[in-house]
Amino acid sequence: MINNQKVLLGAGLAALALTFAPVSIAAPGSWSSEPVRIVVTFPPGGTSDLVARLLAKHLDSDYGQKAVVDNRPGAAGTVAADYVSRQSADGTTLLLANNAPFTISPTRFKSIPYEPIEDFTHVAYIGASAPGLFVQPTLGINTVEEYIAYAKSKELAYGSSGVGSISHILGEAVDAKLGIQSIHVPYKGSSPAIQDFRAGVLDMFYDMVVQNKDMIADKEAIAIAIASPERNPQTPNVPTFREQGYDVVIENWVGLSAPAGMDAKTTETINDTVLAIFSSDEVKERLIELGITHSAMTSAEYTQFVADSISTWAPLIKSAGIVEK
Amino acid sequence: MEILANFAQGLSIVLQPENLMYCFIGVFLGTFIGVLPGIGSLAAIAMILPLSFYLDPTSALVMIAGVYYGAEYGGSIASILMNIPGTPAASITCIDGYPLAKKGRAGVALFSTAIASFGGGMIGMLVMAVLAPSLAQLALSFGPPDYFAVILLGLVAASAVSNGGALKGITMVVLGLMLGSIGIDLTTGDQRFTMGIPELRDGIHIVIVAMGLFGVSELIASIRDNKKGSATQSIDYNDFYPSKSEWKSLFSPILRGGAIGSFFGALPGTGQTIAAAIAYAVEKRISPQKKKFGTGVLPAVAVPEAANNSATQTAFIPTLTLGVPGSPPMALVIGALMIHGITPGPRLLTEAPDMFWGLIASFLIGNIMLLILNIPLIGIWVRLLQIPYKYMYPTIIVLICMGVYSLNNNVFDIWLTLIIGAIGYVMRLYKFEPAPLLIGFVLGPLMEEHLRRSMLLSRGDAMVFFERPISATLIAITVGILAFTAYKSISNYRRFKTSSSQLTK
Repeated sequence: MINNQKVLLGAGLAALALTFAPVSIAAPGSWSSEPVRIVVTFPPGGTSDLVARLLAKHLDSDYGQKAVVDNRPGAAGTVAADYVSRQSADGTTLLLANNAPFTISPTRFKSIPYEPIEDFTHVAYIGASAPGLFVQPTLGINTVEEYIAYAKSKELAYGSSGVGSISHILGEAVDAKLGIQSIHVPYKGSSPAIQDFRAGVLDMFYDMVVQNKDMIADKEAIAIAIASPERNPQTPNVPTFREQGYDVVIENWVGLSAPAGMDAKTTETINDTVLAIFSSDEVKERLIELGITHSAMTSAEYTQFVADSISTWAPLIKSAGIVEK
Repeated sequence: MEILANFAQGLSIVLQPENLMYCFIGVFLGTFIGVLPGIGSLAAIAMILPLSFYLDPTSALVMIAGVYYGAEYGGSIASILMNIPGTPAASITCIDGYPLAKKGRAGVALFSTAIASFGGGMIGMLVMAVLAPSLAQLALSFGPPDYFAVILLGLVAASAVSNGGALKGITMVVLGLMLGSIGIDLTTGDQRFTMGIPELRDGIHIVIVAMGLFGVSELIASIRDNKKGSATQSIDYNDFYPSKSEWKSLFSPILRGGAIGSFFGALPGTGQTIAAAIAYAVEKRISPQKKKFGTGVLPAVAVPEAANNSATQTAFIPTLTLGVPGSPPMALVIGALMIHGITPGPRLLTEAPDMFWGLIASFLIGNIMLLILNIPLIGIWVRLLQIPYKYMYPTIIVLICMGVYSLNNNVFDIWLTLIIGAIGYVMRLYKFEPAPLLIGFVLGPLMEEHLRRSMLLSRGDAMVFFERPISATLIAITVGILAFTAYKSISNYRRFKTSSSQLTK
């Protein structure tokens, strides 16, 4: 009898525990009767904006959660992040977060109007894409080793998509790791840099690898290495820095963050819904096309990820010499 | 004929219902804005710019171009009927247009200007279709030093030929350069002149400068003028078509105006006002009716209209092939394309041929639409001139505020526009032209970018600008223009001095 009661009680407690366990509370679904605003740190048209629009579309079509994209570009993403940090944490305002406001700006700028961890509820990680090093085919360089040898004989100039951009930080990190020096030529975005590269003005440039897979296929540029931990399935012939013996990993990540103090239930619901959307085949395929590798994280893991990336990027930003005086 | 095949391809793009619609919206809006005195094509383009961000780039370009040349059609209406130029370029049309209207020949004048605009537009279109691809081919070999030299030439040309005189022109260009240097330094990432205001970190948006200078300040100016807003001359629809001999007298002025306009339109930094003024001046010297110029003769209204309209088409040549604006509104076109992720330059023709040829074909379609809007439907525009401005202008202010807010969803931008508008109004009072300022504002950062990039790539050796044949030639031309302007102003000054000293004697 007693045993049975204990068993029953145990089962009951277990059931109760299960009910309160975060996994079982939340299921993918809508979380607000109001339309959700997804704030994007860039003007319409870029990769971030496309991810936000993809998410908004599927929130509505798959879960009936109305969502609109709100582009608030400016000051390296800090305008949008500052704006979101001051909104109500009821799940109706979300930020399509990325390196710029959370990983780079806190170290780079003298002051920013928000705290990257305390002022936000970091809800869900979406994925990352990786930049790489491209050189002129005429240089006859194919590997990192050959690149080092060449760059030591002649000072080369590389194009980036701007001071403080991922491609710039990668360029400086590679220089430091490989013990070489090259001239940084910043552009406004990657497409003018690639234009000048094609015109033969630049010896090399750093940019997202998957976005330039046509150039690689057409042999217009040689991709020496990609800065992701693993090769990207879209560009299987591009080796990583790591496998060539140089531990350089710099990725451009995107995630979803909300104002601080959002309740656990809403956070879990959003996390589950977002993960469900980004693991569906259709959406996954779109992400792969955009060069983004998706992986699943809980809200806590994502928060830790943001905190870690601030500290891993800080020395890179400092050594790139772009910290605001 | 490759050009014909390309043109046919472009035509098939423009004839898509969506593009036809945006083309019509563009030319209609352009005519509308052109008819309203005080508001020029710059303000109109600035106002539709935020809207264009949401369109397909080709549709956006077709629409903006439509506004641009549509305004020149509409601009002549107020010039002829009210002696108030609807656009700056149409001020030349006032000279003979209004006397014609006073003679009761407003209808013929309006008809002739529409035909002349159409003729000029077609000439400009042909010039663009033939010249742009070869110019782009040439520009493919341009490196950063060559771009620097082209932009320098554009800046000097813009200030030297500005209507208000070289000194004021240069002052405005320099002010534009200064405004353009606000924001993050592209090469070092440092903030410049942001005064700790985060909204200024990315610089001032071109739409804000354009709306302030050309929208807001023009509205303030028209409040001050307290215009009544009613056409003082009526049209006699019985006398609408020119006589046979008048038709004949229009033919060669239209050709000449179109040719002169095409040249000045394609020259970076000038534009349709200068084109119209020069075409009129030339015609006044060579026309068989030259003695009657100023008293109301048809060739004298046809020439500036043909010139200003052909200039609006050829202004796209340097804009799209070099990325250097052919006229101030083209600076906005560059801005619009860059927001779509398209960098205008020699590669545009090969990378976006549909857009390029679609635009050229849209000139044909748009000009035909305008012919219809301006001949059978002329009555609508005449009636528009009778709407009191007290209803019209507040509406436009609201539209400006909406457009500016939509850029970054930030109220700061509205305030900034109003401040720039107020400054623009004060400049206007002292006869400082805002157009060179806009050119400086757009070209300054570009020039700096190419200068510093050239220096980075040459490892700090400034000789790079004189060693390359293209940049060396362009710099030589620039120095030539500067020397000529300096010589002219010195000789003017001497003449002024001698005449004034004679007076004191």
